[in-house]
Amino acid sequence: MMIRTDGLTKRYGGRTALDGVDLAVPEGSVYGLVGPNGAGKTTLLALLAGLRRPTAGHMTISAPRQHVAILPDTPQFDPWLTGREVVSLARKLVGSPGPAGRVDEVLGDAGLTEAADRRVGGYSRGMLQRLGIAATVVGAPEVLLLDEPASALDPAGRREVLDLLTRLRGRATVLLSSHILADVQEVSDTVGVLRAGRLLYQGMLEDLLVGRAVPAYRVVVRPPVEPVVERLRAQEWITGVDHGGDGRLRVGVRSLVEAEARLARVLADCEARVVSLAPEEPDLEDVFLELTS
Amino acid sequence: MSLWRLEWLRLVRTHRLLVLVGTYLFFGFTGPLTARYLSQILGRLGTEGVTVEFPVPVPADGIAQFVGNASQIGLLVVVLVAASALAFDARREMAVFLRTRVHGVRAIVIPAYVMTVVGAVAGLVAGSLAAWYETTVLLGGLPAIATLTGVALGALFLAFAVAVTAAVASVMRGVAATAGVALAGLLGLAVLGGLTPLGRWLPTHLAGAMTELVRGAPAADFGPATLTSLVGTAAALTAAVVLGARREV
Repeated sequence: MMIRTDGLTKRYGGRTALDGVDLAVPEGSVYGLVGPNGAGKTTLLALLAGLRRPTAGHMTISAPRQHVAILPDTPQFDPWLTGREVVSLARKLVGSPGPAGRVDEVLGDAGLTEAADRRVGGYSRGMLQRLGIAATVVGAPEVLLLDEPASALDPAGRREVLDLLTRLRGRATVLLSSHILADVQEVSDTVGVLRAGRLLYQGMLEDLLVGRAVPAYRVVVRPPVEPVVERLRAQEWITGVDHGGDGRLRVGVRSLVEAEARLARVLADCEARVVSLAPEEPDLEDVFLELTS
Repeated sequence: MSLWRLEWLRLVRTHRLLVLVGTYLFFGFTGPLTARYLSQILGRLGTEGVTVEFPVPVPADGIAQFVGNASQIGLLVVVLVAASALAFDARREMAVFLRTRVHGVRAIVIPAYVMTVVGAVAGLVAGSLAAWYETTVLLGGLPAIATLTGVALGALFLAFAVAVTAAVASVMRGVAATAGVALAGLLGLAVLGGLTPLGRWLPTHLAGAMTELVRGAPAADFGPATLTSLVGTAAALTAAVVLGARREV
């Protein structure tokens, strides 16, 4: 494991922000940390970055401190610095050797080449976020702690960040905290669900989705819809049918295997006019809401 | 790009160096002018029938006017500039950027402290040279060794004041609070020095050293305050580093 915590606890006066968290982040993985507001995600990242001290518990990062980089959720820099100076300073401080063009390279990857020599005070929020990412990756860190890395970005910027995270898999260990569950689902291989300071789930994303999601099929039929709904509800292997309007049905099934074998036949028997039929893709948001409700 | 260059750019690009030098230069030029022409100025403003006799100004009066203003307004500007540089945790995201990339808070505090002192001393030297020139032209020559010794002791006092600001910044959260508490502490020292026999031992005694030296006071009179300033500066910087390291962001 690259990052491990044992019983990590953080209290601020009478309030417990983290309560006995046992985090295990595999080396080279992209670990998505999700949780509602106030769950303790930022506190956990701050503890791992050394910005705060735990009240109890231990934490271990199997990389030198200067090889651990953190990106806060709203990067800000002294406004009279240029983007190039920010990244140069970041590179200098972590003692990163690297090729001479490394600063220009990461600025280019962040789409900031043209703005590199402009003062940061004139940057938009999205540009600041990208500059923060550039300053984070310039030292080629072994561990990246990213707090909402794509939150301030437009769709193109978000796509670039997600592609970057995908490229980092295997080359660095990434712990990213995000509200955008679709992003976490796309790039993470390991997930931790935090709520009220406690880790409710931690493990492979695939196991979480397959293990917790309720199997179902999405069926779209043309009218008349009610006879189809009645026939489906009569099946003992179907757990429920939700009619969303416009012929869109969510058919809960006992198992996807059973549905594969029997659903099409039932629809044919009731002469349903089927427009589309597909298993419901497990969604992290659904599982997240179920876990944190 | 380094933390030293970062602090130099902070001084230059935010015009704080200009403000420091400008403030001391202003009092450097106006101090001797005031000393030379004060009697005429007040005479023109005076009430009919009331005559105020002023002693004939001497060269030391030119320096006294400069030091009197510099030790108040100049010190205020120095502490404000110092607070803005040393209260780096007031800018949380920049603090995160720096703290997570250096080996200890000392690497952040020392460049900020040194460059602020450089700026403050640059202002003091510029103002002192201006006052020396104006005084020489308007009132007469000044003893060189005494004047230069006074500048050096004034610089030491500024170094102490900036160190106190650094220590306060490690426990206060904002720039204004840092400056306010630092100034209150320095003012408290000055009041203590004025009211008790401890005065000659306190760093604030050095603020007016230039005036007393050009009036003929021996440099040895400032030995105790020099020693206390050096020890106090080291202690304040140590506190700034130790307390700053313990702070959570």
